[in-house]
Amino acid sequence: MMPRIFLTLALLLALAPPVAAQEIKPFISGSIKEITEARQGKPFILSMWSLTCTHCREELSLLSGMVKKYPNLDLVLIATDTPEESEAIALTLGQSGLDHAQAWVFADPFAERLRFEIDRKWHGELPRTYLYDPTHAITAISGKLDRQRLEQWMNPYFGRS
Amino acid sequence: MSNSTIALLLAATLAACPALAEEHAGHAKSGAAAPVVAPVDRGKVWKDMLAKPSLAITTAFDGKGRLWLATIRGRYLYISHSDDRGNTLSAPVKVNVEPEDILGDGENRPKIVVRKGVVYVSYTRGLEKPMTGDIRFSRSLDSGRSFSVPLTVNDNREIISHRFETLWVNDRGQIYLAWLDKRDLSAAQRENKLYNGAAVYYTVSDDGGASFRPNLKAADHSCECCRVAMALDIDGTPVIFWRHIYGKNERDHAMLRLDGKSSPIRVSYDRWEVDACPHHGGALSIAPDGVYHFVWFDNAPERHGLFYAHSADRGNRFSAPLNFGNFEAQAGHPHVLSLGKAVHVVWKEFDGQNSVIMWMSSADGGKAWQAPRQITATAGASDHPLLVADGAQAYLSWNTAREGFRLIGMAP
Repeated sequence: MMPRIFLTLALLLALAPPVAAQEIKPFISGSIKEITEARQGKPFILSMWSLTCTHCREELSLLSGMVKKYPNLDLVLIATDTPEESEAIALTLGQSGLDHAQAWVFADPFAERLRFEIDRKWHGELPRTYLYDPTHAITAISGKLDRQRLEQWMNPYFGRS
Repeated sequence: MSNSTIALLLAATLAACPALAEEHAGHAKSGAAAPVVAPVDRGKVWKDMLAKPSLAITTAFDGKGRLWLATIRGRYLYISHSDDRGNTLSAPVKVNVEPEDILGDGENRPKIVVRKGVVYVSYTRGLEKPMTGDIRFSRSLDSGRSFSVPLTVNDNREIISHRFETLWVNDRGQIYLAWLDKRDLSAAQRENKLYNGAAVYYTVSDDGGASFRPNLKAADHSCECCRVAMALDIDGTPVIFWRHIYGKNERDHAMLRLDGKSSPIRVSYDRWEVDACPHHGGALSIAPDGVYHFVWFDNAPERHGLFYAHSADRGNRFSAPLNFGNFEAQAGHPHVLSLGKAVHVVWKEFDGQNSVIMWMSSADGGKAWQAPRQITATAGASDHPLLVADGAQAYLSWNTAREGFRLIGMAP
């Protein structure tokens, strides 16, 4: 037991980046309330994606650029995969440069219930993005985002003053 | 949806083509710049997804009232039958002896048709690269006791997407298969050209499924991940129905009679412009009087939700689409079945607690409709609802994680 721990530690010290691995939180019934209540009066972007959605890769890449350009951007990412895929999710987000965003994964196979709590008008298409303004009025977008329009929305909230 | 929302939708589509190129680029980049982060093995992610248990159960009645079921368990397709409307099932028989990754997620499901004592099945086999597959076919000539070694139907053998197949057999014993195929996208990529979406291909067997004719292209530029629907016209010619890409990126629906001379006809004008994976295809049923009945889902700003329309003249004219279902209850995955003059439509909604199956029917060929009614519900994960008929009655065929498989007869 002990030697293995030392070996693992040694490997971690040799290889690990100075930040802890990104936590992928289980998204269950009630999680959306937790996310919005923690951001009362604050704007943020909620982005739904999946490991198996090709358009989502382009979306993550776009969001990664936004995070770099707007360091204050509060981005919440929810993968509609399963908790068993958390490692792949963390790796994908790490590679996309999104390892500092809050990340969740659907942790209930009854996806209809989770979708219902997020947005009754969402039929599961991906990517799906929600722009929450400070009053939490929501703009919902299906499909890939347009960079210019997204920046127009973001600038008043996250642009450098 | 507001105008600003519409504006946020990107007009041009890159379809799925950047995905594979990006996969390689991603590997190279991560190796150089971030050596501590292992590259994401998308092949492994795909394999893990293929290994997930599937809730998809497809059913069909034969001419004698026996119900047949196609189920995926592990890496095998199993066929069983029931003589008491699904209460008791025969011991399942394996179709593929060699293990295969059989797609049964989202819009993927095995297909089964039983005509004149022969059991015909098809399915999509996932290949090693993400989002790739081959169309597979097998038959049983001994009433489901054994199945032929599955053969690959697509004659393009690149490791690309040939998926979302549909299967039908006419009275002449001709077997038709149609599917979404990315061979034209692949060819365009080799020449650094753009190709929007996928293509629809089909083939037919004239010898009972021993062999298939060379593949034919039905249409260029289909949407990539929505099921293709097929039904037989009264002359035995199959008609297909799929989500197409019109103009720059309008993901509306099209139909085509597979008679070798017809051209695709646009069925819907909802104008859903989206670079997304809807995973939400339509359904088609053709009545004994030759009327085509269509149902589909769209999510355009102006026109969204579920729609029904019919055509009495093979697609020259369509009835005004009827918008149905509760859009704010995720109304989706509609199925349609005509039986004599009756038309049945089922779909799934979520009422805040349960997934419910809704049903509406028409007694006059789709002109007047009864108010939608709830047939059944489940408080967990479930398959898409399907409609099957034994010649006299229509049934809902639905698999749920909690209660298992259900066959529910619908009052005429």
